[in-house]
Amino acid sequence: MKNMMRKSLLALAVGAGMTSLAAQAEITIGLAGPVTGPLAQYGDMQFIGAEMAIERINQQGGVDGEQLKGVKYDDACDPKQAVAVANQIVNDGVRFVVGHLCSSATQPASDIYAEEGILMITAASTSPAITEAGYETVFRTIGLDSMQGPVAGNYIAEQAKPERMAIIHDKQQYGEGIATGVKETVEEAGVDVVVFEGITAGDKDFSSLISKLKRENVDFVYYGGYHPELGLLLRQSRELGFDAQYMGPEGVGNPDISKIAGEASEGLLVTLPQAFETDPDNADLVAAFEAKNQDPSGPFVMPAYTAVYLMAEAMKATETTDPYEVADYLHENTFDTPIGEVQYDEKGDLEEFNFVVYTWHADGTKTEAQ
Amino acid sequence: MDATLYLLQQVINGLTIGSTYALIAIGYTMVYGIIGMINFAHGEIYMIGTYIAFIVITGLAMMGVDSTLFLIVAALLVSMIVASAHGFAVERVAYRPVRGSKRLIALISAIGMSIFLQNYMRLAQGSRDKAIPNLLPGGWEFGGDGFAVNLSYMQVIIFFVTLASMGVLALFISRSRLGRACRACSQDRGMANLLGINTDLVISMTFVIGAALAAVAGLLLGMYYGVVNPYIGFLAGLKAFTAAVLGGIGSIPGAMLGGLILGIAEALTGGYLSTEYKDVVAFGLLILILLFRPWGILGKPEVEKI
Repeated sequence: MKNMMRKSLLALAVGAGMTSLAAQAEITIGLAGPVTGPLAQYGDMQFIGAEMAIERINQQGGVDGEQLKGVKYDDACDPKQAVAVANQIVNDGVRFVVGHLCSSATQPASDIYAEEGILMITAASTSPAITEAGYETVFRTIGLDSMQGPVAGNYIAEQAKPERMAIIHDKQQYGEGIATGVKETVEEAGVDVVVFEGITAGDKDFSSLISKLKRENVDFVYYGGYHPELGLLLRQSRELGFDAQYMGPEGVGNPDISKIAGEASEGLLVTLPQAFETDPDNADLVAAFEAKNQDPSGPFVMPAYTAVYLMAEAMKATETTDPYEVADYLHENTFDTPIGEVQYDEKGDLEEFNFVVYTWHADGTKTEAQ
Repeated sequence: MDATLYLLQQVINGLTIGSTYALIAIGYTMVYGIIGMINFAHGEIYMIGTYIAFIVITGLAMMGVDSTLFLIVAALLVSMIVASAHGFAVERVAYRPVRGSKRLIALISAIGMSIFLQNYMRLAQGSRDKAIPNLLPGGWEFGGDGFAVNLSYMQVIIFFVTLASMGVLALFISRSRLGRACRACSQDRGMANLLGINTDLVISMTFVIGAALAAVAGLLLGMYYGVVNPYIGFLAGLKAFTAAVLGGIGSIPGAMLGGLILGIAEALTGGYLSTEYKDVVAFGLLILILLFRPWGILGKPEVEKI
């Protein structure tokens, strides 16, 4: 009897808790990306960008009086965990998602979102395959590898002009995709690619590969992948007396590469989204980040901010939180955002997005490459 | 000439990684030799050893110590002590209570311990890569005009420290009283116990020794690669376990030989075929050995005792 009482009290308490949640009138935005794992710092870039947007929109009264609320979901950049996260998001009744981050995680998650009618905007995944399925509710606020690859490839062919080039990748969707894109561009321009090989992400020893590059007299190496492996490649190349020029995509552009590689990271070439934080139109936003001691220069900060901003704009204009109507509005209109003018094609890709080649420095800063 | 130099360079690369596989493999092989179980948490002990070494090195460097030798020795001692304590605790908490039961139970307990240690380190230290600068940069360079062989100081240190550790361990096992007790336990634990050997102590010591050697590997590899994250134990443990099985699990010279063979096979595959086939060859080798010589290169075939 006593037990019965306790249980019914508990049920009441739970019931009360649920109604109070519903009464707050909030629109939840799922922020999916790596909170843990070796790529967690990219997740941080995305989270601070999205959270800043949520905070600023809420300060201005939210969306039709309803406050936005960001909830983080951790996929650790792992495709299997991304599926679990996507299912959890479905179960939690969330209908708007900013994420995921790694292309290999975004790809399987986007299938689930499209099926369940959830609007997803990724601020970081650049693999073209993600939007190829043509899902109505899948968008991105970043360019594609098919835009980034040619920028890197053209720079290599026109500025660096290597004699014998090597292209290395980490066998993942993002890394191998962009490496293949670069290979096509440079080969068309007549650059001799003598080594094209994959390494295993998480591996620590690249000495046999570096010795091989040295024997092949390679003078330029393009690496498709993320910073932990490239950092070690740079460090071990220095150790083994191999001094070719290295270049990588935005997945390596992160101050941690300088921590890992030290002096060897000086002069590394990186293609990154245009530095939005230097745009005078964003001065106010940059100041807001700096006031919170956050770094607005990470490549995914502004795209993540823009993702939330676009969702809010579309919800305000359509006066609904129906993901399909919001998606239609995004497809049909042009927006003025911190990453410039945003206009979507029918696949949910940006019509225009600029990647720029930067030179990385050993102190973790970057300057535009000559 | 160039071809020979290139081969030499790849063999040097292989010996370096092989040595560290061997150091970690000892922990697997000793535990298996004595209690017949696979300690899957051993890779994690190596990871913890690396973290402790990093903490000691950065801590002392921040306090203004600039003698490299002192930094290394201090890091070595502290990480060996802390890793040994972890090895000891793991055995007490996760393995001793289930020792009498079926093998599968101990195995699952080991995997659980491995996941626990990985996440415990992740919570304590965060999941980002931690890096230290190279303490001993530089090395020797020699060779012709076409290809110069590079041999860094770290590579030489790794190889010789491994050799020395193995030598000391072999002496310990063959000459000391505790070593004799270890051998007795591995032959017949029940009988050894009846003859007055404290088998619990011997088993604890096995874990402590294995952990201490893993800490040595942790420091060496940490200095060589310069980075650590909570996930490095998995791959390192897997490779070391392969090395132990390759050489003959339960045999200490076997662990050394297995490690070196595995390291050289990986380096040569990376150097002559493609880096993509490195793991294929490593694990292909394991399958071949298991098919044709399941007790490993230097192991002894297990005789069913009736």
